[in-house]
Amino acid sequence: MRTNLLEWSLCLGVVAPLLFPSASLAQLTKEDINSRLNMESHIGTRTGQANSGTVKYDYVRYCVGCHGDLGDGNGEVAQWLDPPMWPKPRDFQLGIFKCRSTPTGTLPTDEDLFDTLARGLDRSAMPQWNVFTNDQRVDLVAWVKHFSPRFVSEKPGTPIQIPPEPEVTAERIKSGREVFARVQCWKCHGVTGQANGPSASTLQDDLGRPIEPFNFTNGSRPKCGASDQDIYRTFMTGMDGTPMPSFADNIKPDEAWDLVFYLRTFMRQPSKEKDIAKQLGLKPVNPNSP
Amino acid sequence: MNTRSNLAAVLMVAFLVCCGALILGQKVNAASEGKITGTVKLDGAAPHMKGIDMSKDPYCVKVNANNTPKMENVIVGSGGGLGNVVLYISEGLSNPTESTAVQVFDQKNCQYTPHVLAMNVGQTFKVTTSDQTAHNIHPNPNPMTGNIPWNQSQPPGAPPVEKSWKAPEFIEVKCNIHPWMHGWFAVVKGPYATTDDNGNYTINNVPPGNYTVTAWQEVYGTQNQKVTVAAGGSAKADFTFKAK
Amino acid sequence: MLIGTRMCARRFAYVQSFATAALGLIISFVSVTPSANALPAFARKYGLRCSACHETWPILNNFGLKFRDNGYQLMNDRDAPIWQNPSYWPVTFRITPIWHRVSNLNEVDTYNGVTTAQPFGASAIQRITSSGFDLSGLDFHTGGTLEKNISFYVLPSSDPTAAFHFETVMGRFDNIFGTPWLNIKMGRFELNNLLSEKRMVGLTGEGGIYQTYHFIPLGDGNIFGQMGDNQLGLEYLGHSVDDRTRVSASLLSSSDGNVNLIMGANSYSGFFTFDQGFDAGKLGVQRLGAYAFLGDAATYYKTTGGVPIPGSGIGNKSFYRVGFTGQIYFGPHFDINLVTQHGEDNAWFGQGYGNAIATNGNGAATCTTPTVLNGCPPNNVPGTVLPLGARAPVWNGYTVEARYVYSPQLIFLFHYDGERMSQQANGPGFTGTGPTGIVGQAPSDLGNINNYDFIARYNPFMSSRAGMALQAEYTWFHQIGTGPVSPVTLLGTNQNSNELLLGLDIDF
Repeated sequence: MRTNLLEWSLCLGVVAPLLFPSASLAQLTKEDINSRLNMESHIGTRTGQANSGTVKYDYVRYCVGCHGDLGDGNGEVAQWLDPPMWPKPRDFQLGIFKCRSTPTGTLPTDEDLFDTLARGLDRSAMPQWNVFTNDQRVDLVAWVKHFSPRFVSEKPGTPIQIPPEPEVTAERIKSGREVFARVQCWKCHGVTGQANGPSASTLQDDLGRPIEPFNFTNGSRPKCGASDQDIYRTFMTGMDGTPMPSFADNIKPDEAWDLVFYLRTFMRQPSKEKDIAKQLGLKPVNPNSP
Repeated sequence: MNTRSNLAAVLMVAFLVCCGALILGQKVNAASEGKITGTVKLDGAAPHMKGIDMSKDPYCVKVNANNTPKMENVIVGSGGGLGNVVLYISEGLSNPTESTAVQVFDQKNCQYTPHVLAMNVGQTFKVTTSDQTAHNIHPNPNPMTGNIPWNQSQPPGAPPVEKSWKAPEFIEVKCNIHPWMHGWFAVVKGPYATTDDNGNYTINNVPPGNYTVTAWQEVYGTQNQKVTVAAGGSAKADFTFKAK
Repeated sequence: MLIGTRMCARRFAYVQSFATAALGLIISFVSVTPSANALPAFARKYGLRCSACHETWPILNNFGLKFRDNGYQLMNDRDAPIWQNPSYWPVTFRITPIWHRVSNLNEVDTYNGVTTAQPFGASAIQRITSSGFDLSGLDFHTGGTLEKNISFYVLPSSDPTAAFHFETVMGRFDNIFGTPWLNIKMGRFELNNLLSEKRMVGLTGEGGIYQTYHFIPLGDGNIFGQMGDNQLGLEYLGHSVDDRTRVSASLLSSSDGNVNLIMGANSYSGFFTFDQGFDAGKLGVQRLGAYAFLGDAATYYKTTGGVPIPGSGIGNKSFYRVGFTGQIYFGPHFDINLVTQHGEDNAWFGQGYGNAIATNGNGAATCTTPTVLNGCPPNNVPGTVLPLGARAPVWNGYTVEARYVYSPQLIFLFHYDGERMSQQANGPGFTGTGPTGIVGQAPSDLGNINNYDFIARYNPFMSSRAGMALQAEYTWFHQIGTGPVSPVTLLGTNQNSNELLLGLDIDF
């Protein structure tokens, strides 16, 4: 039976928002949130304040459309953001954040939030907010924090220790390949890092919405930063709220650097790691080997 | 003797006896603890549990070659008994003692064993993997309760992950790599039990008193019953959930 | 999924045209429309509210400026059209229905009641006030990305009578070789002014432009050097990743954006800008910059049968405009914008050479004896000599715009333009008759402008789908020597006009 594309599209168009409800676990009231207006953030020598007088205005101007008046990710445009292509805006009331320097299940540091604001989140509607001055941004960090009671009752986790980056060598890249095979990153990311692993198509985030693993090969930047340290930190702390777990218990710090170097061989940007991998004739891991 | 002073003396003695009983009662309870026992049944036709297509992971297919893995949302025994139902005391316990035994939640043959792990607030549990394929262990509580979600990898040979929970909640556990895998952490206060495959349970170490017992099943929700436990005695509470 | 994200941005394009006659400046209040770049189309695409990019739409804030410098991209790998729902179409239109009351000085025939009325029998200078409902033109914006790092913009714009022209047509290569320092644009586009006339909120005839961008001394024949008009050419723009440092260099045809090589063919100009943003802590980002507009424009045309051939402009003479720009923010609610200008046109332009001779429909010249006085600009044939005492006109201009942004939905603006001649084209020793009938040396303040504009603008709603503003505006304009010629002294008087405007600004 031939189906009319238009009819199907209209049907999906009606059904789609129902399939992806902008579910929010958090239902804090404005009074509860306002009780935390004295929230502060401390980054370097700067102190940000949620009651600075100007930060609320900045939030209304720039952020409220997606993140909502109550910071729960239900801004007026959130309903039109369709995962996985357009992830839903973050619900600040939960205190769960993807990009942290702290272990899984713990709060990010103020600096983590500061960096995320400046870096933005590629492949999402969260832009790089580097037009703000640093003083404006520290206030915004305090404002983001004031939505969640967790920032009052919990301390941020202890940032993981990242050992100094060693020299890139062929041995390290080969060892990184072994790590990639052992912890089976390829199950989601694919053996060539193209996000086509066997489990990639059914991934869902914590609120049940579809989500895609990172594709290393298309030139796009990882959400939590593109430097070697950023990539190290991403898999050693996990991206909370998503299927990406923390590998801190399963990868030793020195091996972690090896894995970073191996991951670079997937990426499009020219690098020493890619040159070495080419010289070695490095092949993708075999998913069927034990 | 003066009637008034008699009355005062009697009241004093009564007061002292009550207090004494309460204070000494803590130690006396161990000897006089009772239990709650019963059976949980499903009234009606058991829903069909779908078979699981594990072809995403050839290892999972291989280790399940000799059995047909099925979804485990509703386990009904031969006599109509409901398995994996958690029984606990929701009202009446003033100072619940929390168990300190370390329980194990295993990933075996690409499914969780047990499917439902009941535990107390603060009680340590270990997540282990017996599989030669990578899993990730990803419980998803509601952070508003005080339980914070976390997500850790468990590749083959990974050491156990030891955790505990801060607040009572029924927490769903998933593996993102194997989307059919899901289980439950039932975090409760006070003594608890989980029904076996025939729906039978026994909650031990229940001090004498009047309580509300709650039965929780992941599909059918909760039901309550009031029981009275005598010292050293055994109260009965049977539950019947209606099939949808 | 059919439900895609949509962009909210409106563009209001107001096309402003100034017709300069040789006798005096006859200001035509014809469809004065500042181009505003607020595209609901952009807001619909990304889900950002208008206020994210616009201080109050259409005025760009720093984030919107970065978005535009990136080629209308957020640089999030989701900019290319392939990531949009196929039903998303990046089109926005803007139109402004208004009521306004315009008042200016005119030479009026007065009937003496004795003889039958005759033209020029008796006249006097009187203030004429006219009011009524009116329309601006319609702007149809479509722009965004054709592919990642390839952007475009097309803006057909009409006057209130629905006569269309292309205000903007451009294609742009963004982030060439992956660096934000290399972006090339070609077509007809707005010049890279920090204070953008195409994104101002003024709607009145004199308040809807920045006088500094359009100032031409009385009698000057240079049609070019107009920074506020969209121009045809090629632009290089480079900026740092956070858009704090911006530099641009454009090569333009000196044709004031006119197509078909009508005027100003064979002459080119360059427009160069630089600006730097500074972090001022809680006050926000402050910007200081400079610009230079240097070039040649034609002074005469080859003729056939005495009629100039379009596109044959030659005899190029030079001109320049240079100045400083500044954007000073005092926190999120108040900011001041400045543009200064020092301008100079070649002495030939000062004497009126450069305008094409007016022709009728058959291409025949409508005037036989070209002089500046009778509205028939001279065509400089080879061999013509500059009269004695003719000098290059030189001037200084200042534009200040102060904005109080109570909220993104309510803004109050004050804008002042001042233009001051520092050297007149008809200097000491000049014996001819100038454009206002003055014989000999022109007074030193001839052509000076003071322009004051007050605006209150309110957006009843702010969403990512569409926008509307209610505007109240008052403009007071004063220029020396461009008023009607006095019938008594036969010399030009001062023009003193004002306009009150109430209107709706509609953007979808």
